[in-house]
Formats: sequence, C-alpha cells, structure tokens
Amino acid sequence: MEALLDFAKGPLFRFSFAVMILGLVRIVVLDIWGAVNAYRRAGDKKLDWNGAIRNTLHWLFPVKHVFARRPVYSLLSIFFHIGLIVVPIFLLAHIQLWKAGIGLSWWSLPPVWADTLTLATIGFALALLIGRMGSAGARYLSRKQDYLWPVMLIIPFITGYFCANVVLGAGTYQLLMLIHILSGELILLLLPFSKIAHCVLMPMSQFVVALAWKFPARVDDEICTTLHKKGAPV
Amino acid sequence: MKAILTDVTKCIGCFECVTACKTSHNLSNDVPRKWHRNDGLSAQNWSSIVQRPDNHYVRKQCRHCLEPACVSVCPVAALITTNTGAIIYDPDKCIGCRYCMIACPFGIPRYDWEEPVPYIRKCDFCHDRTTRGLQPACTEACPNGATIFGERDELLSEAHRRIAAEPDKYLDTVFGEHEMGGTAVLYISDIDLGFLSYPARRETPALPETTHLAMSAVPPTFIGMGALMGGLYWFCKRRDALAGKDKDKS
Amino acid sequence: MNRVKTFKTILWAITGLAVAFGAARMIFGLGAVSNLSDATPWGIWKGLNVVPGIALAAGGFVVTAVIYIMRREEFHRYAKITVLLAFLGYITAATALVAELGLPWMVWHPIIYWQHHSALFEVSWCVMLYLTVLFLEFLPTPLESTGSLAAIRRFLTKYKLVLVFLGVMISTLHQSSLGTMFLITPDKLHGLWYSSLLPILFFVSAVAVGPLMLILAVLTISALYRKPIETDILAKLAGASAIVLGLFGLIRLIDLAANGKLGLAFDGSGSAVVFLIEFTIGVLLPVAILSVKRLRRSQAGLWVAAIAGVMGIGLHRANIAGIQLVHTGPTYVPTIYEIGISLGIISAAILAFLFCVERFRMWETPWEDPRQAPEAAPEFDRVADVWLGTPRIAGRTVYSLVFIVALAAGLAIVSTDRIESSGIKEVRAVPARGGDTLFVDGNLDGYGVSFAHKAHVDREGGNASCSRCHHMSLPHDQQSGCATCHSGMYTAADVFRHDWHAGPDGGNLTCNMCHATDRERSAESAKTCDECHKDLIPTNAQITVKQYMAPSYTDAMHGVCIQCHEQKAQQLAGKESLARCATCHGQRQTEYLPAGVYEQFRDTSFNRVITPPMATGGQSDGKDAE
Repeated sequence: MEALLDFAKGPLFRFSFAVMILGLVRIVVLDIWGAVNAYRRAGDKKLDWNGAIRNTLHWLFPVKHVFARRPVYSLLSIFFHIGLIVVPIFLLAHIQLWKAGIGLSWWSLPPVWADTLTLATIGFALALLIGRMGSAGARYLSRKQDYLWPVMLIIPFITGYFCANVVLGAGTYQLLMLIHILSGELILLLLPFSKIAHCVLMPMSQFVVALAWKFPARVDDEICTTLHKKGAPV
Repeated sequence: MKAILTDVTKCIGCFECVTACKTSHNLSNDVPRKWHRNDGLSAQNWSSIVQRPDNHYVRKQCRHCLEPACVSVCPVAALITTNTGAIIYDPDKCIGCRYCMIACPFGIPRYDWEEPVPYIRKCDFCHDRTTRGLQPACTEACPNGATIFGERDELLSEAHRRIAAEPDKYLDTVFGEHEMGGTAVLYISDIDLGFLSYPARRETPALPETTHLAMSAVPPTFIGMGALMGGLYWFCKRRDALAGKDKDKS
Repeated sequence: MNRVKTFKTILWAITGLAVAFGAARMIFGLGAVSNLSDATPWGIWKGLNVVPGIALAAGGFVVTAVIYIMRREEFHRYAKITVLLAFLGYITAATALVAELGLPWMVWHPIIYWQHHSALFEVSWCVMLYLTVLFLEFLPTPLESTGSLAAIRRFLTKYKLVLVFLGVMISTLHQSSLGTMFLITPDKLHGLWYSSLLPILFFVSAVAVGPLMLILAVLTISALYRKPIETDILAKLAGASAIVLGLFGLIRLIDLAANGKLGLAFDGSGSAVVFLIEFTIGVLLPVAILSVKRLRRSQAGLWVAAIAGVMGIGLHRANIAGIQLVHTGPTYVPTIYEIGISLGIISAAILAFLFCVERFRMWETPWEDPRQAPEAAPEFDRVADVWLGTPRIAGRTVYSLVFIVALAAGLAIVSTDRIESSGIKEVRAVPARGGDTLFVDGNLDGYGVSFAHKAHVDREGGNASCSRCHHMSLPHDQQSGCATCHSGMYTAADVFRHDWHAGPDGGNLTCNMCHATDRERSAESAKTCDECHKDLIPTNAQITVKQYMAPSYTDAMHGVCIQCHEQKAQQLAGKESLARCATCHGQRQTEYLPAGVYEQFRDTSFNRVITPPMATGGQSDGKDAE
C-alpha cells in the first residue's frame, strides 16, 4: 500500500500535473494559432475587441447578467468555483507537500476555513447537480460529462475531508488517501481535454465568437466558387 | 621549478597527507559514488593513498607534468602551468568539456558529477600556500618525511643519492624523471609504480608532441585547401569554356 | 494515418521524452542522469551525436564543392538538400555538445579565451564559423517562399561561391582536427584505431560518407513522399563516394601494416571482432556493391551501400571517441536518459528536415505531393468523433498531443530520488564479527578496523560503560549491534518502520496515537520514539537520538570513535597517533574470517526489515503508549 501511495504521490503526480499544465498551454496555443489564421483570412479586419473583453468580464463576474434572473444558481456556481480553486491550492497539507518536493510554499488557508469550504463545495456541487437534473431545459442541453464532472470533482473533496478530520485506522486512512490522490490526478489528467478546459479557454471564447461574426454564412462555398473549385471542402 | 619527492619505502600509510589535503582545501566528506574510480581520488579527494600488497602505500596525486597533456588540450586555457611548475585550474574559464580527463595519461582530473554546476577537481600543488612561501599541506603533514617538497633538481639529486646509497632497497629509477616528458611529482620505490599511469611508458616524448605536428599544419592546410580549390575551380571553368567553344564550332 | 504521419508522430514522441530528460540533465546535473564517470568522461553524446554526426554532415562541403567548384551541373538538384542536411547535422552535433558540456552556458568561451595548441579549440572555432557559413548558404531557400527580404537572398546567391570556398576550407580543418583530438590518447586508444594518421583518416572518411548520407536522405524522402528517384545521378555520386571509401580503407590497412599492427585484427579479442565488423560494413560492403554498375544503379543497391557506409564510418568514429578508448573504472553503459536525449536531438533534426522538405522548394523540379495539394481532404477522427480539419491542422493537433504526453511521461520517469542522483552506492552494512576483538568492516572490503571490544570495556569501566556507545537498542534488547539501525553503509537509514507500526505486528496503531489531529502528519510533528518506548534509550547515554533516520554506518562508527580518540590524543602524552586514520585502519585483512565468508556476505542480499529479537524478557514496549 505504501509503495502504491509513493507511486501515486511521485511519478504519477508528476505525469498528471505535467499533462495538465502542458495540455492547457497546448490548447491555448492551438486556439490562438487557429484564430490568428482565421483572422488573417477574414475580409473585415475590424474586430469588436472591447465587446469581447466586456463579455469576458461579464462572464467572469456574472453579477449583472445572470444574478438578477437566477440568483440562487449564480451564487451556488460562484461559491462552487471558489471552493474548487481555493481549497486545493491553499490547503496547508498540499503546500507542505510542495515545500517538501520543490521547496516552494505560499499562504495557506486556516484549517477551519479549509474544512468549512470543503464541506460547502461538496454541498454546492450536489446542489448544482440536482439543479441540472431538475430542470428540463438543462437536461436537454446536458451531455454525459456534465453529470459526471460534478461527481468526479467532489470525490477528492470527500476523501480529503475524511483523511484530515476523522479518526481512522491506518489501513482505511491509506485507502482513502489513495483514492483521494488518484481521483485528483484523474481530474488533472482529463482537465485539458474536457469541458474543464474552460478555465483557460474562457477568455478566448469571446474572441472566437467575435471573430466568427466576420465570416458570413456559407462563406466556404463562396470562397470555393471564387476560386473556381466548387464543391471542394475548405 | 618546485617538486615533491615521495619515498614509497618510508610511507607508513597514516593518511595524514590525505587528511591535510582535505582540510586545507575545505573538501567535504566523501562516500563511494557510482562514478568513482577505485584509486581513492575523487572530486572531494585530490590526493589519495593506494594500498599495494606487502605493506606498500603509494601516494596518488596530480603529477604536475613538465609538458602536461591537460594544459595542451584545454580549449580555453583553463588549465595553466605556473612558474613554480604547478598546474592550476581556473573555474571561471572552464566550459566543462572534460577533454583534460580524456588526455591525462595518469587519469588524475576528476569531475563534480553530482553538481548541476560542475568543475574539474585535482591537486593544485597547494598553489596559494607555495606562493606564500609555505610548503604544500601534504608534505607538511607527513610525520615520517616520506613525501618532501623542494626544488626539482635538488630533489632529483637527493633521489639518486638515496638510490645509490641503498641500491638493494630501491628500484633503479626515479619515477617521473623522464616519464611523459618528466613530472614534478617524483617517486622512488621498491615496487614498480606502473599502475599509477595508463599502460606504463617510460622515456617517451611528452603527449603534447603527438598533436603538435597536426596542429601546426592547420594554417598551411587552410591556405593550401583554398589554393587547391581555387585551382580546381579555374581548371573546371576553363574546361567548360573549351567544351562550350567546341560545342559552338561543331 | 499515413506513413509520413506515423513517422512524424514517433519522432515527436521521442523529442518530447528528450525535452523532459534534457530538463532533468540541466536541473540535477550530469551525474544524476548519465552513467558518465571519472573513468569515462565522454559518453554516447560524444560517441554518437558529435563525432560521427560531424562526419555525416560532411556532404555540405563535399557536394557543394562538386557542384560549384568542379561545376558538375547534374548534381545541382541536390545543392539545397545537402546544405540543409549539413546545417541540421551541425546543429545536432552542437546541441549534443551543449548537453554534454558541464557548463553549457560557457560554450562561447573559446571565442575570448584562446589556446591554439588545443585541437578542440580549433574544432570549436571551425564549427562556429561553419555553422554561420551553412546558415548563410541555407538562408536563400526559406526566403524564396516568403518573398520578403529579396535583397538578402540575391546578395547571398550572388556570393554563393565565396561561401562554398569558405565551407570547404573550414571543413577540411575541423574534420581533420576532430581526428587530431584523439592523437593525445596513444595509451588509451586501442592499437587498431590509434594512428598518427588519424587527422587524414577522419578527413577522408568524412569526404566519403558525406555524399552517402545525402543519398540516404534522398532515398528516405523518396520512400516517404513517393518522390521518383533519379538512380543514374545518385549512382554517379555513390560511385565517387566508393572510390574515396576505398582510399580510406587502403590508408587504414597500409598504416596498420606499416606499424605492424595488422595482426591485432585477428587475435580474436572483442576489439578485433569489432574492427572486422566495422571494416566489413563500413568499407568492404559498400565498395563491393558500388563497384558493380548494375547494383549501383539499383535502388536496393544504393540503400544497402548507403546504410552500410554510414553505419560503418559511424561505428569507426564511435570506436575512436569512446568504445575503444580504454579506461579503468566503472563500465560505461549509457542510461535511458542519455539514449533518450541522444535520439531526441536526432529526432528533432529529422522533424526540422521534413518540415523544410514539405515547406520549401528543396528541388528545382517540384514533384507532385498529395499533401501539398489544396484539395487535400479534412480527416475524420473516429475515436473523438470530430473533423480534424485540413491535414496540416490535423497534424498539428496530433503531434502536439503526442509531444506533451511524451514530455509529461519523461518528467514522470526521471528519478528525483536524491540518493540515486547523488550517485552514492547503497550498501547494506554488515555487522561486526568476532568476540573480544571485533572486526568492524561494514562493506566487507577488508579495509576495516580491528576493534578491541573487551579492552575498551575494561578500560572504560566494565558493564557500566556500555551505554557510552550503545546509545539505543531495539525494544526487548539490551545491546543491539550498530549495524542493526545504522544499516546503510553510506546512506542514512529509516529506523522507524511506518507500515510495521501501523500493521498487526506493531500493534495496529491508529494515526492519532502518534500524529496530532490538528496538524499536518509528518515525521517532524509526530511523537518521538522515547515517548512510547521508555526503555529504548539507556540512562547516561552519550548520544541522544533526535530523529528517525539513523546516520550511515561509516558516519556512526567514525562519530562514535573519532571524538574520543581525538580527546585522548591531546590529553595523553605519547598517544598522538590515536587521532590518525592508520591507527585503526591497517592493512587489508581477510584472515579473521573463514575462507569464502567475504563472497558469501557480499552475495547475500540482507533483509532490510529490522526484526525485534524474540528471546529475552523486556517488560513492556510501545503498546503502553497513551
């Protein structure tokens, strides 16, 4: 068991963390690359930069748009995101691992806050999941991963909470710890390849949308006709 | 020209010289590492004692050759011979190519393999001590006078005197007198010291001479190749021109 | 996935691994990632990438000389490709050299610190100059397709001949100086390879193998992109190459015979076999194939001859730069990291090569490449159920994915174990043997210490003095031997068995019996041993235990003896020698043990588990905690 834990903490963690960082860099680079190419091809070079930035900020702090209409959902979503980001990064135990590994350390959450936030995040995630299942419109739009992600995201939170706060036998502790680490690593691994990638793609999406307006409908057919190559895919 | 004379028959293997060397150069403790050779020298041990059968102890350290291979191959002159005959190392110039380690016929220079910023490590003849008029730490520490410091010609005559006085005790050679063009660290011994170098060669020319001819041929080769190519170009152009003329005529 | 894509995917994966390994090399140092040693200071990077690589890139000056100086117009179609090949070849060698240098950021030092006796100084200057020349020779090609900076392109094309002349002159120097570098090792290099003609041999072999490498590259491109092969023109180049290769073989044989070393080739030793293999595939095989006109003009003949020649000359160089360079010390076998970096550099160069071949006009007559046609259809990925866009976009997606996953895998493989990267050998210390006189020799190399145990006990005051040295014993034990806890000969050992304490044998302790619940669980914040094991540390012990790591056997033995010895050496008149190493460490002795015991102990892999002795009746142990 200890060997398995060591493997999960060592090589496996390095692998998944590296895949996350590099994968996020990769999709950002590929997206910018694609967008720049599209921009170069676009006829009308005037982009609505201000609008895109404004939209991005609006979605980052969705006070005005959504809050008025769906206050409960908005609050849940905001606090869920805060918990999701703050707890893993600013947890004392995690920071100590970073310190032992590469010598870096930073400000940590007081343990009481951390525990509260952990429980709250679990609750918010469940509430959001129920909300999604409860609304017919949301059900229609949802894919499988939309249901799976909230469940997967709270597994490390639940196991982490148990490991930190409940008195356990050593065997149970190690088993829970292993689940905690492995599920966390699975999240890291899948992060750049799933909808969670919106953590870096969010700012880009507004620009891509802004860019898309520059291409009128059926633009590819028109280009092909102009080039006398009708019917060829673009 | 300074030198060290080690009398192998006098050494009792007390390791005082090794300890003194470590202390005076602030070298840290050493444990066997996978990149060590088995002669006791390492980046943390610039001087060692090789134990040979029948209570023989042989000091191993940089020989400070009179015509050093390491100095001749260093591409940035990080290794130089001082006027006392010491071969010293300038870490600020070194690029870490380790050509000196390849070239040294005694296999002396060692490397800081465990460091992300590594340097060549070897005996520096206690250069800072000798310039202050002191003798090297190792010879100073020797309780038995087995390894002594002095002018090279004086120590050479001393060595020959000892051999002549007790011809039965010593082998009739001063190791380092002519070896590899002569070294500043001399030995007299009752056992053969061939194991201190790669396949023992005595009375041979110094290693730098092996590359000397090729290196001095570099500038003429450069000019010569240019001239040769120029000639070839002229010839080929002329040939093509003539061929073109023939073609025009026919 | 087509051929090209599969090939490139593999190359990207290797490059990704190499980037991770390269990062580890820069952060942890050479010792951590390589098997280089004081005995083998140059390894696979020198022996595979640098010394043979420079020879394989020699086509850059040989073929350009043939085209522009000897004015053989029929080879003009290969002018760009040979320059590109040489440029990338030199970059490969330079990158490997940077990986190998201990202080890579000092690589420019030969520019300001001159040492003109050194062949390496000469080589580094020439390589720097020649890289510049190659860059200028290559530059017009990419500029051609962008259309910008036309003035520079015209200028460089106009003075092409000057660059070609410079290239030939500089190359002659450093190709031969590469051989000069190994003239300094007459005692280390095997007699079959050492020769005072090494500079000439290196130059001739470079001239021979450069065009062969070009042929190999052209054949590879043709196979990958289905480009038609002009066998008749390649055959001419190969024929000329074979003549030079034959000349190289002849010089070698005559030189060996003149020095009376030809016999060495047939003495049956490993080196002799390597020599015969090298000579056969490097010289005899290609010369034999290429001297037959029909074979020379066949694709198969060209393939075999080019590969054999390249491999053979590569092996010749590798032998001189490493394999046959004798050293005494640890045997050198490159680590997976070294091999990965070495292959990764080559892979990256091949990728750059393919990029140029696809992107720029490398031939005067462009061939129909389906990948470059504008109609190329978007690909559909059945697994992800998406359209991948045009081949170029699809390639970008796949290659970057493969690259980052390989890079991450590389980072995961790299060992960050401090002990492993510090190169310390982990040896299990063997307990001292004997009775009244103990022989303390933890690694059983014979250079141990005869320790007069009984004499020390008597001198220090009988049984009351035990605790002076025996500062801690296992539960239920009175005098555990030193090696019980100090079990690592050179490395500190963990004496606290976490899994054992948590398991049934250790009392199934729960976490909070040692760790406080409100703090992070770590060794530092947990209870100390003596809080539970009250009898573990004897009263009036001189050495107090503060941590769970027992210092190495060597450190523990030296620590316990030297302190006292140095005191006594100062206090007692006539006992100065007590502080000397040789007082305890005498000549190597093995006779105190029966014959064969050394070997027996060396081979037995000791069980690392510290087992508490079953006998003796101690009263209580850890279970009475709390």
